[in-house]
Amino acid sequence: MSLLSLDHKAVARRYLWSGLGFLLLGGLLALAIRWQWAWPGQPVPGLAWALPESRGALTPPTYTAVFTMHGLVMIFFAVTPLLFGALGHFVLPLAIGARGLAFPRLSALGYWVYALGGVLVLASFAVRLGPASAGWTAYPPLSTSAFTPGLGQTLVTVAVLCAGTSAFTYGLNFVVTVARCRAPGMTWGRLPLTVWGLFFASVLNVLFVPVLAAATVLLLMDRLLGTQFFIAGAAAVGGGGDPVVYQHLFWLFGHPEVYILILPAWGMVGDLVAFFSRKPAHGYRLTAGAMGTVSALSGLVYAHHLFTSGMSPLLGRSFMVLTLLISLPAEVMFLNWLMTLWRGSVRLTSPMLAALATMVVFGLGGITGLALGAVATDVPLHGTLWVVGHFHLTMGAASFLGVFAGLYFWFPKMFGRALHEGLAKVHVLSSAVLFLGVFGGQLAAGYAGQLRRLYDPYQYTYLKHLLPLNQWTTVCAFLLGAAQVVFVVNLAWTLRRGRAAEANPWQVGTLEWTCASSPPGEGNFTQVPVVLRGPHALSQPEVLERLGRDWIGQAEVLPGVARQDTAEDAVPASEGTVSTVGRVT
Amino acid sequence: MSTSIEGKSQPSSNTSSATSARTLALPEDASVDGHRIDALLGWSHRFEAGMAALALGWMVVAVWRFRNAKRAASDGGTKRSRAWVFGLALSTFLVVDGALLVGSEGYLRDVLWNLQVPATDPRTVRIEINAHQWSWEARYAGEDNRFNTPDDVVTWNDLRVPAGVPVWVQLVSTDVVHGFSLPNFRVKLDAIPGRVNQTWFRAAREGSWEVACYQHCGTSHYRMRGELRALSQEAYVAWLREAGRQAVQAYDVDDSAAHWGWEWKAP
Repeated sequence: MSLLSLDHKAVARRYLWSGLGFLLLGGLLALAIRWQWAWPGQPVPGLAWALPESRGALTPPTYTAVFTMHGLVMIFFAVTPLLFGALGHFVLPLAIGARGLAFPRLSALGYWVYALGGVLVLASFAVRLGPASAGWTAYPPLSTSAFTPGLGQTLVTVAVLCAGTSAFTYGLNFVVTVARCRAPGMTWGRLPLTVWGLFFASVLNVLFVPVLAAATVLLLMDRLLGTQFFIAGAAAVGGGGDPVVYQHLFWLFGHPEVYILILPAWGMVGDLVAFFSRKPAHGYRLTAGAMGTVSALSGLVYAHHLFTSGMSPLLGRSFMVLTLLISLPAEVMFLNWLMTLWRGSVRLTSPMLAALATMVVFGLGGITGLALGAVATDVPLHGTLWVVGHFHLTMGAASFLGVFAGLYFWFPKMFGRALHEGLAKVHVLSSAVLFLGVFGGQLAAGYAGQLRRLYDPYQYTYLKHLLPLNQWTTVCAFLLGAAQVVFVVNLAWTLRRGRAAEANPWQVGTLEWTCASSPPGEGNFTQVPVVLRGPHALSQPEVLERLGRDWIGQAEVLPGVARQDTAEDAVPASEGTVSTVGRVT
Repeated sequence: MSTSIEGKSQPSSNTSSATSARTLALPEDASVDGHRIDALLGWSHRFEAGMAALALGWMVVAVWRFRNAKRAASDGGTKRSRAWVFGLALSTFLVVDGALLVGSEGYLRDVLWNLQVPATDPRTVRIEINAHQWSWEARYAGEDNRFNTPDDVVTWNDLRVPAGVPVWVQLVSTDVVHGFSLPNFRVKLDAIPGRVNQTWFRAAREGSWEVACYQHCGTSHYRMRGELRALSQEAYVAWLREAGRQAVQAYDVDDSAAHWGWEWKAP
C-alpha cells in the first residue's frame, strides 16, 4: 500500500510494522539488562560488534543508556503505537461503521511525526556518548547538560516530543471520530468495548500528553538555552528552579499514561471474552462505566510516584486515598469479565487465550500494586524491582498480550489471510507463562530489596544472595524472547502462503466482520451500515431459531422481524430516517 | 575525622547470613518501628493472595466447566447478578484497601510523619546528609550541638548512630536527585537539590548495615553505597568525642566547600 495513502488502514499498517520493529529493539535492550543482572560485566552474546572495546560486555555508561532506551522505546515507540497506531487506527473506524477517521490527513501526519521520532531514537545510538541515559523519566538535574552532556539525550528528548505529538493527534482524531462519525444507529450503548477503551484512552491522550510536552520543552530549554526551570541552586541555599516541579509534571502525564497503555487492552478483553463465551458481556454498562471511572481518576493519583519525595503529609494522604480508590472500578471490571465467562460456551481460540492471559497478568499486576498505593507499605518497596515487576505485569505483559489478542483477532481482517491457529496458541501460552516467570522473579527480587537500575546489584551485601534468583529470571526472559520467533515465523509464513481467511472466522456480529470485506476496501463499506443492536448479540434464542446460528450482525435484519433489537442493553432503533452521525437514540 | 570506605569484598554486614536462606523475605528488619510496616505488608499479602486465588480460580473453573458448552446464556446479566458484582467488588475494596489505608495511616501518624518523637527526645542524634555523585557525606554537630562549626564531624559513606535512640536525618543533594535508603530500617527519602528533606528512625540493636541509593543518579549510581553502624551509647559518644577533637585540629577556615552544613531546620 502506498506510503502516501491517507486511508486509516494504510496508516495502521505503517504503525504496525514500525511498532513491531521497535518492540524487537526494546525487547533486545531488555535482554541486555537481564543479562547484566545475571552475569554482571560478562560479554553479552552477540553484542561484540556494537561494543568492541569491552568485547560485548556492558559498561556502566552503556548500561544506563540501555535501560533508559528500553523504557522509552517500549512505551513511546512500541506499545502505544501498536495499541493505538496499529489496532486503534485499523479497528476504530470499522467498528463504528465510519468510512475513515475524522481527520485522515492528521492521522497520516501523526505517523510521519512518530516516524521522525523513531529515526531520532535510532540516530541517537550512533552519536558520541550514546543515546539518552538519564532514565526514562529523565529527572533533572541529571537529565540536564551538566550531568548528561551527550547529544543523544537531546535527540531522544526531541524524539519523545515527536511521539507525544503523534499521540496527541491520534487521540484527538479518535475522540472526534467516535463522537461524530458513528454509523446511523451506532449509539454509545452499542459501541464495542474496544471502542470504549480506545475512546477513554484517547481522551487521556488529549488531556495529559500536552503536560508531558510542556515538561519536555522546559527541560529542553534547560538543556539548550540555559534556563533554570528545573535546576536548583546549591543545596540548602536555593535559588533557580525546582527539580520537583518536573517530577510532578512528569507523573501528571506518566500515571495516566499507564492507563493509556492498558485501556485499549481492557476494552479488547471485554469484547473477546464475550465473543468467545458466545454470550453478551456481563454488565456492559457497568464495564464501560468502570473504564470511564478509572480514566477520570487516573489524573488524580499520580503523586504516589512521589511518596518518598518529602511531599507534605496532606498531599501524601490525599493521593493515598485517591490511589486506593481506583482499585474499586478495576475490580468491578474484572468481575464482569469473569461473570461473562460463567454460563457461556467458552471457545479457546488464540485471541481468547491471549485475552485470558491478559486477564491473568493484569490481575496479578493490579494486585501487586495495592501495597504501592499506601504510603507505609510503599516505603520498603519504593524504587525496587517489586515496582518494576508490578508495572511490567500491567503495562508490559498485559498490554503486550492485549496487542496480540487484538492482532490474532483482526489479522484476517487486516490482511485477508488466516494465521496458523496452533502456532498462535503456542506463542500466546508460552509468552504468558514466561511473562509470569520473568516478572514474578522481579517481584520476588524486589521484595527482598533489590533496587532498580543497579549496574551490579551485588555491590550490596544484602543483595548478594539474589544472584541465583536473577539468573533464573534471566533464563525466563531469554526464553520469552525466543518464543517470539514462533510469532515471526507464523507472520512471515502467513503473509506469503497463508490460506485466505473466511469472511467471518470468529462468527461475531461487529461491523468490521459482518459489513466489510477482508481486507476492507477504500471507504470500508460499500454501503454505510445501519446499526440495529449492540456488539455482543450472541446466543440469542430468536436468532438461533430463525437463522440457525448463534450470532447476528450488528446491522443485520433478523428475517421475519421488523428491526428488532436483541441485545439486552439496546434500545429500539427508530424507524424511518436516522441521523447520519448516529446520535444517541 | 573518620573516612573509612569499605572495600566491596569485605564482609562488613551481618545481614547476608540472616537473609540468605530466604530469598522471598524482606531485608532483615533492624529498626524499632519497621515491624509495623512488615506486619501490614504481611496482612496485605494475605489479602492479595486470597484475591488472586479467587480470581484465577474462578477463571479456571469457568473455562473448565463451560468450555464448548452446548448452550450459552443469552443475557448480559440480571439486575441481581450485576448488584452482586458491585457488592463483591465493594466489599473486597473496603476490606483490602481499608486495611491498607488504616494500617498505613497509623504508621504515618505514629512514626513516619511524627517528627515530634525525635524533636522531643533529649537523646536524639541529629545528622545532616549531603548526597553527591556518588557518595554520602554526613555531618554531626559535635559537642557544641551546632552545625557548621569547627567541631563538626564529617564522614563519607560511614554513618554511625547509637542503638535505641531516635536518629533524625536532614537530607540534601548538591548535584542530582539521589535516594537515601536504609533497607534494613524501612527508610527511604529523596535527596533533592534545593530543598531539605527529613526523616527519622531508631536502630533496634547494634550491628552494621548498608546505605543504598535508590534513585538513578548517573553512571556510578550502583556504587553509591554507604555503611551504617549502630553502636552502643558509650561507643558512640567516645567515637564522636574523638572524631570531633580531630576535626577541630583539621579545621580549615578557608575551605568554604567543606562548610556546607546548615542551621538545623525545625520540623
